[in-house]
Amino acid sequence: MQDEPVATEQPQQQQQQQKEGEEVANTYVIRPNFESKFRPLLAKPVIHEVLVERLTDKAYDKEATSGLCKELTDEIKARLRANGFERYKFVVQVAIGEQRGQGVKMACRCLWDSDSDNYVQDIFMNDSLFCVAVAFGVFHY
Amino acid sequence: SFKAGMDNLEATDESSFSVDEVSNIIKESVEDVIGTAHYSHNKVGQWTSSVIEQCVNQLTRLGKPFKYIVTCLVMQKNGAGLNTASSCYWDSQTDGSCIIKWENKSMYVIVSVFGLAV
Repeated sequence: MQDEPVATEQPQQQQQQQKEGEEVANTYVIRPNFESKFRPLLAKPVIHEVLVERLTDKAYDKEATSGLCKELTDEIKARLRANGFERYKFVVQVAIGEQRGQGVKMACRCLWDSDSDNYVQDIFMNDSLFCVAVAFGVFHY
Repeated sequence: SFKAGMDNLEATDESSFSVDEVSNIIKESVEDVIGTAHYSHNKVGQWTSSVIEQCVNQLTRLGKPFKYIVTCLVMQKNGAGLNTASSCYWDSQTDGSCIIKWENKSMYVIVSVFGLAV
C-alpha cells in the first residue's frame, strides 16, 4: 500500500526498471516523414506505365472492357504496394469509356489529413476509348 | 474501467461503415442537384461540384471516425459505353465503399464513396 504514492510520482523510472534496463523510446510513427509520404511525383509514373502498356492499340469492346477495367485496377494497386509506401491504404479507381463525342466530367473531393494523404491521376486516350485512373493513398495511423 | 472503455472503441455500430446510410445520402444529393435536368456542357462542372459537396457535408454530419473519398462521374447519354472498376487495399472489417449508379433521360451519374477508418 505504501508503494502507490511512489509509483505515481516516478512512473517513468518504474517502467524502465520493469523493462530490465532496456531504453523506452517512442518509436511508433504517427505521421509519415517526407521520404515515406505518398508523393504524386513518385506514383504517377507507375500508373502511366500500366495504362500505356495495357491500352495502346486497344479498341473499346463492350465485353472485353469490363474485364480489362478490373485487371487495370488490380495491376495498379499491386504495383503501388510493391513500390513501398508502408502504412498506406490504397483506393484505385479506373473508368474506361467509348469515344463517341459525348461529354463526360469526373470530379472528386476527399475529407482527410492533407499532410499525410494524397492522390494521383492519369488519363489515357486513343481513337476509340478514353481511360481515367485515380489512385488515393490514405495514411493509417 | 479504462480498459473496458478501450475495448468499446474497437467495434461499435458508430465506427463501422454503414452502406445504407451512405447510399441514401448519395441518392438524395444527386436528386437534389440534378433531378430531371437535361445534360448541359456548361453546367456539368457545377453539378459535379454540388453533388460532391453535398455528399461530403452530409457524411461529416454522421460524425463517424472516418476519412472519406467521394468521386462523381457524369456522362451524357449518346449510346457510348462506359465501364468503371475500383480496387482497394484496406482493413475490410472497418472500411467500406458505396457506389451508386443513377440516370435520367439525358445522362448517367456514378457516385462512389469510400470510407476509411481512422
